[in-house]
Amino acid sequence: MSAKSCELRTVMVMNNSDPSRQDALSVRNLVVDYGDLRAVNDVSFDAKAGEVTVVIGPNGAGKTSTMEVCSGVRSASSGTVTALGLDPKKNRLELNSQIGVMLQDGGVYPGSRVLEITEHYCNLYDNRTTAKDLLTAVDLNGRQKSTWRKLSGGEKQRLSLALALAAKPKIAFLDEPTSGVDIFGRDLIRGIVRQLAEDGCAVILATHELDEAQRVADHVLMFEHGTLIANASLSELRDSHRGASQSLEDIFRSLSGKSQPSRRL
Amino acid sequence: MFGSQLRQELTVMARNGEQLLLLIGIPVLLLVFFSQTNVLPTDGLANIDFLMPGILSLAIMSTAMVSLGIATGFERSYGVLKRLGTTPLGTKRLVAAKVVATCCIEVTQLLALVAVGLILGWNPSSINLPSLLLALVLGTSCFAGLGLIMAGRLRAEINLAAQNGLYLVLLLLGGILIPNSELPKSIAWLAEVLPSSLLSELLRGIFGNDELKISDLASLAIWATGACLIAVFSFKWSD
Repeated sequence: MSAKSCELRTVMVMNNSDPSRQDALSVRNLVVDYGDLRAVNDVSFDAKAGEVTVVIGPNGAGKTSTMEVCSGVRSASSGTVTALGLDPKKNRLELNSQIGVMLQDGGVYPGSRVLEITEHYCNLYDNRTTAKDLLTAVDLNGRQKSTWRKLSGGEKQRLSLALALAAKPKIAFLDEPTSGVDIFGRDLIRGIVRQLAEDGCAVILATHELDEAQRVADHVLMFEHGTLIANASLSELRDSHRGASQSLEDIFRSLSGKSQPSRRL
Repeated sequence: MFGSQLRQELTVMARNGEQLLLLIGIPVLLLVFFSQTNVLPTDGLANIDFLMPGILSLAIMSTAMVSLGIATGFERSYGVLKRLGTTPLGTKRLVAAKVVATCCIEVTQLLALVAVGLILGWNPSSINLPSLLLALVLGTSCFAGLGLIMAGRLRAEINLAAQNGLYLVLLLLGGILIPNSELPKSIAWLAEVLPSSLLSELLRGIFGNDELKISDLASLAIWATGACLIAVFSFKWSD
């Protein structure tokens, strides 16, 4: 999706609904400490409905911690998060019914069977999504009876994505959805991610693979050492770095190391 | 939502074959073996009448503490709890599903053990059902609390060892196979205040139609409250 059509979409959303809801997710001055280690340092950003916001940065940059606070799995040390107008901690169950989460490790009992666990997740939400539809979407209908233990890395990721889709989410938090996935699986997952955004979902996708990010991003958040070193649309980011080749990797290199304090482009 | 989670709990339980050994196999084996041999002191009771209450306590301990504790520990380490934490299921429904699943298994165990006991000639005096139920509920809460304290903090493999280790200690110092009166004085006092002893003594009293020992009941209630409170406040949903 081009930046222009994104803007148009945003304007339409603003005109049609409560303006406070245009940002599906709003993070202000977020800090996450683990003992003495500051994993996330004063991070602020917004993520819009209908856009894929890609969170990139090296391992340990604070991506997962930020995602986990936003999805209510972890508590912030300070700062505020508002998701769909709700506080992820105080209104946890109300928010949970509207978000889909894909954790880095699948979170499925190794002995659970594909169909059984998918049906269970469908039962947890109040919508008419069926396990068969979800498994068809991620191309796992042929593996219904397999246990999680026996799935390949890529199949685990696809099942994990299917479980996140069971919510018919308004925000989808996907942490490294394509890691360990082969080329066909990647295409399939990218297709689903784009479709989610087309349907109006705010997709927050963390990855340390910059090529992956470049293929699906509308908006980019670059993390380094727990701070946000870039917060811009993919096209803005490219425009502001015309000197370099326009790959995210080069842009990241040129911004990296200047991370204190966090700045907005 | 609750029903679906309950089905999951029972499915996971049933899928682990080794659980069946722990939950039914070991208690039945101990009951049959020691009722048919005269190697244990039995405090002046018939073998089976001494053994039955203890074995029932052991069964409660194996389900509420060991089985629940080990399963929850692994769920924590596999990230199952963290993943469920992002769904609308919620802690209350999750805990309720675990409670009901535990009760279902306990009822099955009790029926099986009572049947075996009756075949072996167990002859309880008239049973006070409310007292029995109260003792079982307190015992279950206490052991579930103890199991979840370990499950909520320890790494899955260490938790597994700790649950089995405590099971053995509480079996030997619980008036289950060996009356506490036979233990050396230096540890008999300790054995008497452990929850396994309290539960087996309470059950022995109830099946023997003695007056309910309020002090034992109160001690078990203190154990149950304490263990559950510590579990609630110390439990970590993920490592």
